[in-house]
Amino acid sequence: MSANVPLAPAPEAPPEIRAAQEERLRKVWTTPSGWRYWTSVNNTEIGLWYGAAAFIFMLFAGLLGLMVRVQLAVPENTFISADLFNQAFTLHGTIMMFLFAVPIFEAVAIYLLPSMLGTRELPFPRLSAFGFWSFALGGVFVCGSIFFNAAPNTGWFMYPPLATDKEYSGIGADIWLLGLSFIEVASIAAAVELIVGIMKCRAPGMRINLMPLFAWYLLIVAGMILFAFPPLIAGDILFEMERMFDWPFFDAARGGDPLLWQHLFWIFGHPEVYIIFLPAIAIMAMVVPTFSQRPIVGYSWIVLAAVGTGFLSFGLWVHHMFATGLPQMSLAFFSAASEAVAIPTGVQIFVFIATMLAGRVIFSVPMLFGAGGLAIFIIGGLTGVMVALVPFDWQAHDTYFIVAHLHYVLIGGMLFPVVAGIYYYYPLLDGKKLSDRLGKIAFWLMFTGFNTAFFPMHFAGLRGMPRRVFTYPADVGWDWFNMISTIGAFIFAAGVGLVVIDVVRPKKKQPRCPENPWNAGTLEFIGSPDEKWGVRSVPVIHSRYPVWDQKDLVENISAGRYFLPDSQSGQRETLVTTVLDARPVQCLRVGGTSVVTIVAALSLGGVFIALTFHWWLVTIACAVITLGAILYWLWTGTATIPESDDYDVGMGVRLPVYASGPDSVGWWAMFITMVGDGTAYASLIFGYFFYWTIHDDFTGGHAGPGVFWPMVALTLFVIAWGAMLAARSLNAHDRPRLTQAALGVAALLSLGGCAAGLAGPFAYEMDPTLYVYPAIVWVVAIWTVVHGAVGIIMQLYCLARSLTGRMTARYDMDIDNVVLYWHFMVITAVTSFGVLGLFPLVR
Amino acid sequence: MRWIKEIETFWTLFTAPTVWALHFLVCYVAVAVYCAKQGALAMSFETMRWLLGGITVAALAVIVLSAWLAWRQWGFGTEVPPHDAPTQDDRRKFQGFATLLLSGLSFVSVLYVTVPLFFIGACQS
Amino acid sequence: MVVGGAIIWALVVGLLLYAGHARREPITARKASWLILGGGVAFPVIVLFCLLAYAVWLMPQIRPFMPALMDNKPQIEATGEQFWWRLRYLDDGGNTAFETANELRLPVGERTTFRLKAADVIHSFWIPSLGGKMDMIPGRDNVLSLEPTKTGVYRAPCAEFCGTSHALMAFSVIVMERPDFDAWRQSRIEAAAMPQPAHPGRDLFFRHGCAACHTIAGTPAIGRIGPDLTRIGERQTIAAGTLANTKDNIARFIREPDAIKPGVEMPAFGMLPDGDIEAIAAWLGGLK
Repeated sequence: MSANVPLAPAPEAPPEIRAAQEERLRKVWTTPSGWRYWTSVNNTEIGLWYGAAAFIFMLFAGLLGLMVRVQLAVPENTFISADLFNQAFTLHGTIMMFLFAVPIFEAVAIYLLPSMLGTRELPFPRLSAFGFWSFALGGVFVCGSIFFNAAPNTGWFMYPPLATDKEYSGIGADIWLLGLSFIEVASIAAAVELIVGIMKCRAPGMRINLMPLFAWYLLIVAGMILFAFPPLIAGDILFEMERMFDWPFFDAARGGDPLLWQHLFWIFGHPEVYIIFLPAIAIMAMVVPTFSQRPIVGYSWIVLAAVGTGFLSFGLWVHHMFATGLPQMSLAFFSAASEAVAIPTGVQIFVFIATMLAGRVIFSVPMLFGAGGLAIFIIGGLTGVMVALVPFDWQAHDTYFIVAHLHYVLIGGMLFPVVAGIYYYYPLLDGKKLSDRLGKIAFWLMFTGFNTAFFPMHFAGLRGMPRRVFTYPADVGWDWFNMISTIGAFIFAAGVGLVVIDVVRPKKKQPRCPENPWNAGTLEFIGSPDEKWGVRSVPVIHSRYPVWDQKDLVENISAGRYFLPDSQSGQRETLVTTVLDARPVQCLRVGGTSVVTIVAALSLGGVFIALTFHWWLVTIACAVITLGAILYWLWTGTATIPESDDYDVGMGVRLPVYASGPDSVGWWAMFITMVGDGTAYASLIFGYFFYWTIHDDFTGGHAGPGVFWPMVALTLFVIAWGAMLAARSLNAHDRPRLTQAALGVAALLSLGGCAAGLAGPFAYEMDPTLYVYPAIVWVVAIWTVVHGAVGIIMQLYCLARSLTGRMTARYDMDIDNVVLYWHFMVITAVTSFGVLGLFPLVR
Repeated sequence: MRWIKEIETFWTLFTAPTVWALHFLVCYVAVAVYCAKQGALAMSFETMRWLLGGITVAALAVIVLSAWLAWRQWGFGTEVPPHDAPTQDDRRKFQGFATLLLSGLSFVSVLYVTVPLFFIGACQS
Repeated sequence: MVVGGAIIWALVVGLLLYAGHARREPITARKASWLILGGGVAFPVIVLFCLLAYAVWLMPQIRPFMPALMDNKPQIEATGEQFWWRLRYLDDGGNTAFETANELRLPVGERTTFRLKAADVIHSFWIPSLGGKMDMIPGRDNVLSLEPTKTGVYRAPCAEFCGTSHALMAFSVIVMERPDFDAWRQSRIEAAAMPQPAHPGRDLFFRHGCAACHTIAGTPAIGRIGPDLTRIGERQTIAAGTLANTKDNIARFIREPDAIKPGVEMPAFGMLPDGDIEAIAAWLGGLK
């Protein structure tokens, strides 16, 4: 289906045709006004809101950080109470990690990627909007809790049994668990969007060796999210089951183990550091070549570093647990991987230095923040190498040395590059530059303030000051370090404040800067801030720095001489290209402005919020609304049969509008989602075997679910899967009646499978509150049955699509995606019921 | 079936790091289960170290194989980077070179993970 | 390591600043690639490998494999509780020889073995001057050994966040010569058999129910909920490293423990007559 790409732009169309094209494009891509502005799904709006919200959360968490610093300025201070202090530092960490560091990169990616990849939109704009609204609601919920004295107060790592103690943590722990689970869903949505976008929606000709490095980094980061966040979601499920229904997953008295949470949390927590760091370095990888006025030296090395870091970062999690009493051999493995991860990180820094050396550097404000950030980050990296050594960490763990280390890493490796990015990319917003003078002052305030605040913490930590203390005695020699830190923190805050002032100050009178103000070589700056269509036409790319290397590229794009200069269908269109060589294969119609995303996000938020307060009826009502909204969204907005199968995308190329199976972006999205889902499931199974390892008899003498019912469930799900394969095949042979019959049979079999799955633990009266074994059996069974239920909904959806003629032999995207779901479903069912039924026999 | 071919070639980039991940996981799980289930297994810690040593050699062999394939894809280094021409050939060479680099990193990382096997001889924490 | 780190930092940042300097000739791409290979790859690979090997070699030196620990027969069992430390000295058979709280005494120059437990939430046992930390986790018995090399008094804070007053949970460690340690240990074992003389404070202690939670050897007080108060007068601090050990402070703590240590389990006894509280404090402070 792929077309050969013509290299030369098409001849210029007459002005009146171009004007008509522009008029149509403008109409299609327009952002509504009034309150409907908020229903926009355009990547520039969503990216902007996302970024602004994340930034506001960051400022709030910064204030909390200042509160912490004021309390610690002098020994035995009484500025805030112990409990408020504990809420403040918990929320400070939680917000910075979950509501700022991860979302800000999602924001930047959603905002920049389409233009950077030379395309119009990411493949699922409504999903981006859904993610944003989930994030905003969850974030406000979590932040707001402190005003009701109900914020989580157990540290951002939420270790049980402190965090499962309802008397101590009150509702705060539930707010943390449910609020953040909700935000994690948004992150996974963003990961799906970014992976499919980067792999499938690049400008024609942008082969993977020509992709901007930012895209390479984001691709890796999105992949990491897919494997890092689900274990935390699994942990959240276990945790919330313990808090809500007293299932003893982490209660040692009933066979649980607090360490399981630490494993699940840090399997998420350490990759997360790199999920935060890599996108910031990705911004640097765009800034450095621009200001060195030459292509990056060592493009492949950066790819090595990104991929290498992505993998190695999953072998580090136990270095947060060096003091938990695991065997020395286990600790040493993780120490080894923690040292190894420093290698790709070092490579990245040297790539930047080499690029600067090989070019002529213009030292502007973005470079200032970038270089300053690197100088700070290197200190954090070196202390990181130290704390990764087990003997050193036994001493430094949970002291202020670690506080210093992590702030050096995150502020140097993330905040400074992000501010560099703000100064670099701000002209995209309204065509105006931020102030050079304010930027320089802000930089020096932030740089000196930061070091004044955090460098002394190394010494306080080495002198034995533990973390998370709301006060400390006067006579142990920590007081001066803390006083200096507090002063530094305020200088640093002044710098951040100056950046904020620079961003929000009115710029009406300021003249516009040129469209590509820094003379960048990549495509971000080619679009005009006044137009919502992204690029006027989708260009053909044959260089890593097309703006530098491709003659008249910008003029030709603006003249509409490339792909999709028009929207004849009156819908938002973008191109789908192949993964490696970016040959165009499909004209994709993406979702436009819609209120359904907000409804779905807010009602899903309602589910989580109602659960926090145990309002069961509201929970169910919100869940029904969510399901309805999502079904409506899918029914009206996806897999629509086009008016014609063959569409003129310009430059004399005709492409199909409808694709199904692995050629379609929807299939990829399903695949990626299910990989994440499978990771969460694997974490639960890990939990099952974890309990087996720590106990001599992990059943604790309690009855299991037997063999019979699990085997019945397994068999029914396998046959249901077979029926789905049959349905797909029948549909492909254009036998709608038989297809519908097969779907109906599959749904009935699945229903039987669900019932049999629950029948096992039910028949043996397994009481999940008595001991951890019945509890983990129930969780695995329920997880599988819930997935079975979702499978049934999908089967019925396909049935309805077929009955209404929206799914045919040619237009079969729905059933292709559902069968893909069922591949994962059958693996889940076989594993679950095989393990539950048979493992107790063979152990 | 063009898609299948394309995906396969895209995924080769991750071969060596995946081997590293598997090797790491095997080492970690083996030690964790062994130490948790001491007594239940009729195997000495020494034996397990040798066993993991054997697995390490196998992992290194696969990484070297992946490196050789990558080297071949890179054309045995006949052309040096940046491989930034808009051709299928340069794209392949870029993939080969990046895969080769990743194999190197994975090789070193597997060696790093082997260090504990030399120095630590018991389950104690 | 710190010096090495400082040198590496200075070199890299120096290079960065030089690279940012505008008036110099750009180097060739080839040279730049060599820089990446040398500075970014070869140097870190070698240095990190050496560091790693040294550190892993060091681990069993710092925490040697000890048969006493392998057989779970340590000398001391320490339990973290919100927000204090229960310390049990064990005899050779693994039974409790005597119990104390919040102040540990160790002999110098020899390795002492510990079993670490937690009663409620996770705590972490850490004597910074003697060695690294080890968590105390409910449901798990962790082991640790430490070898003090100098006599003296050391402070040991809890190193894992454990609730409202995590900051106010510490103990003191007194490292003594072997003969002194033996004498102290023996006298503590014998304390149970030596009745405490009468004292007005002693009567009030029992009358107001303090014995329900606290044990004092040589008296009928055998409460198990709170810290053992035997010879509390000889300790460096009270309230788990929170206050200096003075009679006034003991009285203050009896009066309003929650104000000194938020979230503490002990109820406030501010409703008692001041005289009673002072008498109890005087008696406790005198237990040596």
